[in-house]
Amino acid sequence: MPDRVRTPWWRNVQVLRWLAQLVAMAVVGVALWLLWFNVTNNLASRGIRTDFGFLDQPFGVRIAGSDLSPGSAVRLALLNGIRNTFALAIVGLPLLTLLGVAVGVGRLSGNWLLSKICTAYVELLRNLPPLLLVIFAFQAVILRLPPARSPATPFGWFVISNLELHVPSLRAGENYRAFSISLLGAVVLAFALWWWRTRAQQSTGRPHHRWLWSIGIFLTAGAAAYLALGRPITISRPVLVGRVVEGGYRGLGSYFAVMGALVLYTASHVAEIVRGSILAVPKGQSEAATALALSAFQRFSFVVLPQAMRIALPPIINQYLNYVKNTSLAIAIGFAEVTLIAFQAIGNGQPAPQVILILMGCYLIFSLAISLAVNLYSRRMRLAVQ
Amino acid sequence: MSRARVRSFAVLGVMVLLASCTDDATVTTTSPGAVTTAAGGGATTTAADTAPSGDGLLAAIQSRGNLRCGVNEAVPGFGFLNPDGTRSGFDIDFCRAVAAAVFGDPEAVEYVPLTAQQRFTALQSGEIDVLIRNTTWTATRDGGEGATFLHTTFYDGQGMMVRTDSGFTKLEDLANTAICVLSGTTTELNLATRFADIPYTPLTFETNDLLRPAFVAGQCDGWTSDKSQLAGVRSAFPETEGGPQSLTILAETFSKEPLGPVVIDGDSQWAQVVDWVVNAVVIAEELGITSSNIGGFADTENAEIRRLLGLPIEGDSGPTIFDAGLGLEPGWASNVIKAVGNYGEIFDRNVGPDTPLGLQRGVNALWSDGGLLYAPPFR
Amino acid sequence: MTVAVTPGPWVRKHLFSTPFNSVVTTVLATGLVYLVSALVQFLAGADFEILRVNLALFMVGSFPRNQLWRVVVAVLCLAVSAGMASGLLLAAARQRANTAGLGFERPSGMTALVNVVRRFWPLLVFIIVCLALTTTIAPTLVTMAALALLSASRLLSQRLHRRQFGWIAVVVWPLAAYYILSSSGLGWDDWGGLMLTIFLTVAGILFAFPLGMALAIGRRSSLPVLRWFSVSYIELIRGVPLITLLLMGVFALGFFLPLELRPSHVTRVLVAITAFEAAYIAEVIRGGLRSVGIGQTEAASSLGLSNWKTMRLIVLPQALRATIPAMVGQFISLFKDTTLVAVVGLGDILAASAFANAQPDFNARGLARITLPFVALAFWAGSYTMSREAGRLERSLGIGER
Repeated sequence: MPDRVRTPWWRNVQVLRWLAQLVAMAVVGVALWLLWFNVTNNLASRGIRTDFGFLDQPFGVRIAGSDLSPGSAVRLALLNGIRNTFALAIVGLPLLTLLGVAVGVGRLSGNWLLSKICTAYVELLRNLPPLLLVIFAFQAVILRLPPARSPATPFGWFVISNLELHVPSLRAGENYRAFSISLLGAVVLAFALWWWRTRAQQSTGRPHHRWLWSIGIFLTAGAAAYLALGRPITISRPVLVGRVVEGGYRGLGSYFAVMGALVLYTASHVAEIVRGSILAVPKGQSEAATALALSAFQRFSFVVLPQAMRIALPPIINQYLNYVKNTSLAIAIGFAEVTLIAFQAIGNGQPAPQVILILMGCYLIFSLAISLAVNLYSRRMRLAVQ
Repeated sequence: MSRARVRSFAVLGVMVLLASCTDDATVTTTSPGAVTTAAGGGATTTAADTAPSGDGLLAAIQSRGNLRCGVNEAVPGFGFLNPDGTRSGFDIDFCRAVAAAVFGDPEAVEYVPLTAQQRFTALQSGEIDVLIRNTTWTATRDGGEGATFLHTTFYDGQGMMVRTDSGFTKLEDLANTAICVLSGTTTELNLATRFADIPYTPLTFETNDLLRPAFVAGQCDGWTSDKSQLAGVRSAFPETEGGPQSLTILAETFSKEPLGPVVIDGDSQWAQVVDWVVNAVVIAEELGITSSNIGGFADTENAEIRRLLGLPIEGDSGPTIFDAGLGLEPGWASNVIKAVGNYGEIFDRNVGPDTPLGLQRGVNALWSDGGLLYAPPFR
Repeated sequence: MTVAVTPGPWVRKHLFSTPFNSVVTTVLATGLVYLVSALVQFLAGADFEILRVNLALFMVGSFPRNQLWRVVVAVLCLAVSAGMASGLLLAAARQRANTAGLGFERPSGMTALVNVVRRFWPLLVFIIVCLALTTTIAPTLVTMAALALLSASRLLSQRLHRRQFGWIAVVVWPLAAYYILSSSGLGWDDWGGLMLTIFLTVAGILFAFPLGMALAIGRRSSLPVLRWFSVSYIELIRGVPLITLLLMGVFALGFFLPLELRPSHVTRVLVAITAFEAAYIAEVIRGGLRSVGIGQTEAASSLGLSNWKTMRLIVLPQALRATIPAMVGQFISLFKDTTLVAVVGLGDILAASAFANAQPDFNARGLARITLPFVALAFWAGSYTMSREAGRLERSLGIGER
């Protein structure tokens, strides 16, 4: 047997691997350095600042729907924008899930008219660009509402115009803090009662009626606290006084346009996903459920749908992310979410590369947050997320 | 060579061909069917324009062969895209004037349509050579935004337009209403300053065609912009919506809006070229030269006219042609005037009393008529 | 065996089987009747003048009108290309069937025509709407010429089935079309309208494909630096909306490159779109790569094939075949996303709607309710057709059933 021959370094796979990595690192490093060099040089030669100090400069203009003065810092304006994006997400995501699941299920229904209408809805909206839908929702729907100078006041409880929608809200009176503490106490009592009734059933065998007991105690305790503290929460009705609406909760018309358009659009994708995943549940499952004499509704909600949702979860996460990214389309109709604020900042003289980097960072954080939240949930459900 | 190798070279050649086809300044001479070997088969120019030997922007433009002009696309009278694909407007005419001065050909322009937010970064990043897009001259733009403003072509002011039946007569009446404004403009900033103590809701839009439906539907009660733009909108307001008399432009002018061409900081030769193109059309009007009578000045005694039009001037050592040393061919001003006319012609053709905008000269008249247009002498 | 179904029992079974169903049916039916009547009223009273006058703006933007013959020639070239490609595919299918000893029957004549209409009816509707809006006979003639060329080249390439023709169909004719549209002083920057939309989609996918493939392979690489770089690029780009990348491209690209370079507006947008698509294509290809079993790689290495040869000869062909439906999905998605370039100032078909509404004749009359549905029809026809074709392709390739 020959002696061990040392392979020369230029054929040695180990050495070559390290060499390749070094070369790759060098190339990437040089490219990044060149980019950085170009950017700082070019910005400097044009007299544009290259740091992030612009964040403390005054923003210069007012933002619809907020109380910030034009002199407030750019960073506050951006935070306001982020808050608006968040407002779009927090209401839109649950809505689109509900609508998407409903339409996806409806498409598989036995009712011919319902399934055809759901199919038409999905095939229509899925194939349209979301920007078009946002502009259309704004111009063809929201702008059809009564003009801002003469809003409609249906039932005396709402004030509706194409600028804003005012709905009744809760107003905190005196003793509000005491009331919220007592509500917390009532919730604790309710949980305690739930646990006690479950234990009671386990030891005695008699029905627990735990729902009745818990909700009962919560309502009784809550009502008692409410009366005892002298009506700490009242309903505030929006009332038109001249041009101002006092009371109630306000939502901008453009907010509803963006949310409506994007919810309808994303829901059509979710409906497709839900339909596909329901069809992917093995047929044996529903056959077995029928054999156990479960009604159609029970079969669907206890056997098929839970399994379908597990399959559907990863693509649905993707659609949530798409929804959040699509909220940037609100710049077309003037809703002040973070992309519009960034555009305004650039247009009013703030340095473009830094503003855009911050904007991209915001969206990355949103995306990561949503992915993380859903990953945690799915790990709890012990799913294999792709 | 194996067939596979031949095929890969063919693909490579085709890719290079594609790259060479994207240079729009030169005409490619290779034929599309030449799926041949050799990677060097096609021209190897890239899609970018590399800087020529001269340092300045003027030299770069001259070697490129066309002028990149940042313009507006949807403002009637100033920068507008017609249904047949041509462009017309006050600012468009100045783009053509600069092209006529540099190349002798007013059509050697590549129009780059820009929104209000993009216009300064497009200038800063070199995407356009000159920005002629109803842009207001401010200190910040001169300073922090790396721009140099040139001779003002249009003196305007900011105004507010409301519905006549709303009964508003002064700006304070608009308290607690919504006001529509374009994003990224001085209009936005001026509105915020003027309304500092008046509560209002600003609705900012990217472009006028997204803003207009909101105003028409009554989402905002006021539309603020340069008065010339508002006049244009008002005059074109259709009868089905109430016609021009249903709109009122409030009397108060809340800021000065001097509009003019803009170039990048740091290239004074190019800045002077654009500046003097503007001056030339004003001087032409002062001297009474129009695009129609320009041919009849061959025998004039007026030295300034002779200098402007590049006509030979008799001197001690024979006839000379005046060259101001701007880097342009002598007689460039007569190319400009032949192409677009003098200032008065440009004004009347695009925004004058006989156009849908129907604006009077007002402060945009010559200084000798009581206006603000005053050009330095051409000597 | 089919049973003749009479209307009565069918309606009872499908529409009114349970009380809940009956309520749903009644509500939906009334809603539908209302919607349809509103639509008919709207269409009857609508004034399509704005579309008629501005049709060229919607189709080609501000392309010089005296050069429109170039668009005609380009359309004809693309028709030939499409015809050849479909003819070659058909011939290849017939050959495969013959080799397998199976028959290859295709309907002809009226049945074939009906099949084509059923398959492509959204596109046909859009073309008919556009032709109805034209004012001269020329566009109709061009359309008929294009259709004739398409069928002729399809018939011809079925007979002359050779492998080289595949290259000619897919590469040469589209290149010819591109060359026609961008020679003698014209370039990308002169294109607009629907032409620009289609160009940005096709060019975006084309340029992003090599980059996406490199990223997908890099993500699986054993070299940590490459993997780290690929992963961060993909996750970064997928986490941000396209509008921010377009902003970056339009505003900031000029700063990242040497200032003398001065890329044009369309180039910057195309760079942004390419960078965006590459990340998504990388994910699609990665899915395809994962679907190729490890057994394939093991068998290849047992045969002594190097890493690179395995990738090129064994893994990639199978992987790419598996990604075709998802690729088409990505293509459709990019097609719809190109509407965003209107926000950064390019004159695509959505921007054309804005220009048309800004004209003095059509100003402030709320005609967006006519132009926007027209643009929507264009996108819907394209996307719906492509997604149906992707479904057919998926079924015919038998993906997921092997």
